[in-house]
Amino acid sequence: MTTRRRQVLTGLVFASPFLLGFAVFIAYPVAASGYYSFTDLNLFQPPNWVGWSNYTELAGDEDFWKALWNTLYLTAVGVPLSIVISIAGAMMLNLPVRGQPVFRALVYLPSIVPVVVGGYLWRWLLNTQYGFVNYFLGLIGIDGPGWLVEPEWGKPAIVLMTLWTVGGTTIIYLAALKDVPKDLYEAASLDGAGPIARFRHITWPTLSPVTLFQVIVVTIAYLQIFTQPYLLAQTRLNTVGSGPGKSMLTYGMYLFQNAFSFLKMGKASAMAWILFLVTLAITLVILLSSRRWVHYGNR
Amino acid sequence: MSGVHRRRMLGAASVLAVAALGACSPSTPDSSNGSETPGSAPTTITFSYLWGGAEAEAIEPIIADFNASQDEVIVEGISSPDFQKQLTSMSSSQGTFDISDHFGNSVGSWAAKGILEPLDDYLAAEGVDTADFVPAAMEQMTYDGKIYSVPIAVHSFQLLYNKTLLEEAGVAVPTTMDELAAAIEALTIQEADGTITQLGLGDPSPATTLTTLGYAFGGTWDADGAPSPTDPSNVEALTWYKENVIDLVGAGNLVTFRSGLGEYLSAQDPFYVGKTAMVIDGEWRAVNIPSTAPDLDWGVTPIPYVTTGLAETTQLTASTLFIPANAQHKEAAATFLAYLVGQEGMTAFSLALGNLPSRLDLLDSPAYDGIGQFSVWLDALASDNVHALSNAPYAAEYATDLDAAFDNLMRGAATPQEAMDKVQQNALGYATN
Repeated sequence: MTTRRRQVLTGLVFASPFLLGFAVFIAYPVAASGYYSFTDLNLFQPPNWVGWSNYTELAGDEDFWKALWNTLYLTAVGVPLSIVISIAGAMMLNLPVRGQPVFRALVYLPSIVPVVVGGYLWRWLLNTQYGFVNYFLGLIGIDGPGWLVEPEWGKPAIVLMTLWTVGGTTIIYLAALKDVPKDLYEAASLDGAGPIARFRHITWPTLSPVTLFQVIVVTIAYLQIFTQPYLLAQTRLNTVGSGPGKSMLTYGMYLFQNAFSFLKMGKASAMAWILFLVTLAITLVILLSSRRWVHYGNR
Repeated sequence: MSGVHRRRMLGAASVLAVAALGACSPSTPDSSNGSETPGSAPTTITFSYLWGGAEAEAIEPIIADFNASQDEVIVEGISSPDFQKQLTSMSSSQGTFDISDHFGNSVGSWAAKGILEPLDDYLAAEGVDTADFVPAAMEQMTYDGKIYSVPIAVHSFQLLYNKTLLEEAGVAVPTTMDELAAAIEALTIQEADGTITQLGLGDPSPATTLTTLGYAFGGTWDADGAPSPTDPSNVEALTWYKENVIDLVGAGNLVTFRSGLGEYLSAQDPFYVGKTAMVIDGEWRAVNIPSTAPDLDWGVTPIPYVTTGLAETTQLTASTLFIPANAQHKEAAATFLAYLVGQEGMTAFSLALGNLPSRLDLLDSPAYDGIGQFSVWLDALASDNVHALSNAPYAAEYATDLDAAFDNLMRGAATPQEAMDKVQQNALGYATN
């Protein structure tokens, strides 16, 4: 055996735990779900080949489009808000004020609260009549909406709850802000740049690579969103609620409902592949657009 | 690799994939008959039940009693209230439990997929006579001519009322639908700005209330093996509800009122705190009220009738016991099942959980005399007008669509006919197996 071949073999042996895990737990299941999306698999019986019928059924399925719309709505509203709030929060947490470590911990705290606990907490906070959200809105003269009972307010309620855990994104931005060279700010100040100009010409370009990463990660998280709407819309244990007028039925929830409530695993597999392709398309658009707005320091 | 093994691997992979992307195994029923050799060491079986908390604690003494009553089968109880975990276990070639519980409307879907063991032979061997059980319940246990589950408990729905509020309003306990409509109006209190402070008829579960009303108006939700949401009597019932409950206060006001109600069966339950004067609900209330709302002066009466021929109409739901097709010890599981659905086991079980027994010979049992007003729910089971929703494979999808349709109705977003037409349209795409 030549040295080179031995080196390749040694490398493969060391990489084999990952390669094996990837093949068994990711590559094979993904490929299998592609096959099952063309069958009528119901979880228990040998599947029959049904061609494209799962996909054509979805095309005519009102709830599928409703769930897709709800999910895209959450993504379109939630992602920009997450990014803006995270950047604003990180900049505030970067200010040299006393007790800053405490503020940083407080911002991150909701992220370590178990999501189920957070979900039930928010069900109470968003209660139309007795919830704290509407109570505080009332203090500033706003008659709070029926968050979880009116179709038009279900999705904003989900966004609100999701934004509560924006601390993780904020901390990453905070770390990125620490990397912005101070001399750039000093030079800009000497040139007469104000806070807005300094943000626009120094902070934002420097943060743009991190922002690209965050936009992609947060977008994928929103496209797969399940737990928060599932908890907020839940009316009975072990069943998928969908909120008033199915306003809170997300793609992930409808996929779960088809797979485990209706036992239509073939249809659920088709949904998974459609979501994969939608996610891929959106991610590619973001990556292509990034050439226009992401600035790397070494270029 | 054999075809069966290959399919099992494919199945497991599918579940992983659906979970990963954003999907278990086609198993064949275990070929072993789970036979136990007489005279050998006792067989240990696993009873995985969905009950949790106080209900789970109530089950364990009954299991202990069975274990002490004989020396051939040892039952180990496990509380596992997760439907998906229960399903996943039944998808493998060797199950992790030998007997479990579920609900009557799932029997057809599961039986059609081959995951439930047909019980006819086991029941005959154990001397269990299915004629001893409430017929509407046994109907739900049967699929394609075979029995796949046995009802361990059943539930019926009646009209509960707050005696104090009725007396204050000078309202007599309603016996007809017209009297009920008048009572609702008299017991509903609304402020000038539309705010509801007291609702005549509450809806702890809109789906249960409205499907029960459908039966009370002579409707049926399943006809000739298919969903029948647009049955004229169903639409008539929903129209009655819309006119006498929703329109009475305004859909928007009703939505706001419902959004601020306390947790069901808690001390803040709207019926317990007088926010709703009447509710259509099940027998568990008779056990829950003395412990949760001991000061509540309440009564219960059969659901008011439209015509005398429809008197004592109620809806029945069933909690079931089943043996999965992949159970390892089916005969031992059947022995335990026979104990649980026997007079002794069922009496202990139903008393512990505050549920109705499904055995006809227990309907007059003095064992239930200690539960105040329980007899109204018990007596209903002997009525000719006891109905149960179909156990057909489409049951889960149908229930989901009915929930959505009733939600639209309650919010004033659809008329009864529009709401039911939508469900009928959706039913065209329901699973058939």
